[in-house]
Amino acid sequence: MDIMTLLELNGRVKNVLQYDMPDAYWVQAEISSLNPSAQGHCYLELVQKDPTGRNFLARAKANIWRATWLELKPFFETQTGETLKVGMKVLLKVTVSFHELYGYSLVVHDIDPTYTLGDMARRRREILEQLEKEGVIGLNRELEIPVLPQRVAVISSATAAGYDDFRDQLLRNMYGFAFYLRLFPAVMQGNDAERSVIAALNAIAARRELFDVVVIIRGGGSVSELSCFDSYNMALNIANFPLPVITGIGHERDDTVADVVAHSKVKTPTAAAEFLIDRMFDSASLLDDLTRRMVESVSDRMNDEKMRIQQISQKLPTLFAVLKVRQEQLLDNIWTRAHNGVRNVMTEREYRLGIIDKVLTAADPVLILKRGFSLTRCDGHTVQSVSDLKRGDRLTTIFADGSVESEII
Amino acid sequence: MKYEEAMKRLEEIVSKIEENKLDIDQIGDSLREARELIKFCKERLYKTNEEIKKILEVEE
Repeated sequence: MDIMTLLELNGRVKNVLQYDMPDAYWVQAEISSLNPSAQGHCYLELVQKDPTGRNFLARAKANIWRATWLELKPFFETQTGETLKVGMKVLLKVTVSFHELYGYSLVVHDIDPTYTLGDMARRRREILEQLEKEGVIGLNRELEIPVLPQRVAVISSATAAGYDDFRDQLLRNMYGFAFYLRLFPAVMQGNDAERSVIAALNAIAARRELFDVVVIIRGGGSVSELSCFDSYNMALNIANFPLPVITGIGHERDDTVADVVAHSKVKTPTAAAEFLIDRMFDSASLLDDLTRRMVESVSDRMNDEKMRIQQISQKLPTLFAVLKVRQEQLLDNIWTRAHNGVRNVMTEREYRLGIIDKVLTAADPVLILKRGFSLTRCDGHTVQSVSDLKRGDRLTTIFADGSVESEII
Repeated sequence: MKYEEAMKRLEEIVSKIEENKLDIDQIGDSLREARELIKFCKERLYKTNEEIKKILEVEE
């Protein structure tokens, strides 16, 4: 039986590995820990999880030596807009190494940023799909920005230059609009951002009646680390927030999930301030328009009235003359009509009187007697029938020119 | 009164004047009311309300 020392055994393992696996390999893995060293190297731990993401299937240490790290780090950051960090999926070109004392490890020679970008895009897409399915993705957008968005709750890092820009721009706006600001400080990058921003949102929600609008801003940092805004939980909180949320988290690449669910997104903190000022400007313009319309229509109306009075006063003498002529004509007419009326009435009367006169004349008994007729009376009565008379009656016969007495025998 | 209510009332007044729905005496009354409304709106837009400021910024 051959007995080996541990060093000899590890040495053989090392030889086998170097002999059998001398090439470089592209390997995909997730970073589970990352520690840059004081000497300028970077020590990683890589893992592979099962599809549920809860159990580890494989694990390996990996080292990026100083010379490589100096090159890879800025390359990766310019390509992705992100720094390498825990939880990130990476595609690395590695060689396998084995050290008698330190054991198995990988040495990183290169990195493919498009793999990480693809993974981040996929995650973002999955989160958006999930939010869409839950029907919350458009909720914040359905809220209306108030007519006067003056009371502004700001979520930002207190020390960020972006916050100062926002504050200056807003409070020193050229129109002199009144704004009220309250900062809810939060960590705006890295793994703490999700929890921190959600805590700030909750703090605002507890005093929601004090505010009109929420603004999430960041800026002034050297590298844009935005993947923390591709967070399902943060997005859910923003989408469900009872006040409109405006994001101005500053970036060149595609919108983060937070931007998508926010009411409005702008690129920079300064643009966020301009957004609010513009809204105030719209409201102020509306007021100015109304004021101008009122002044114009009132002065129009006053001019109209003035013209009316002038016209009336100019026409008055003419009108009066016309009126006078008309009244005179009217009086003339009445006089003529009355005069004719009276004349007509008089003629009628005269005619009637003539007839009556003729009738009366014809009926005069004296005229009848004159025409040869006589009137017989007995005992003071006019005799009208022979039967009224008997023998011995004394009769008086009246003629036109006198009367005679006689007796019936 | 709310800003939006004031604007709505102002809009009503202006429309009535524009549509000649008011006689001259009514225009006088409406103008007085409109002037108050405009003053109120301008103050909301431009004048910092110290009370709101105090409440909002107290914890800052």
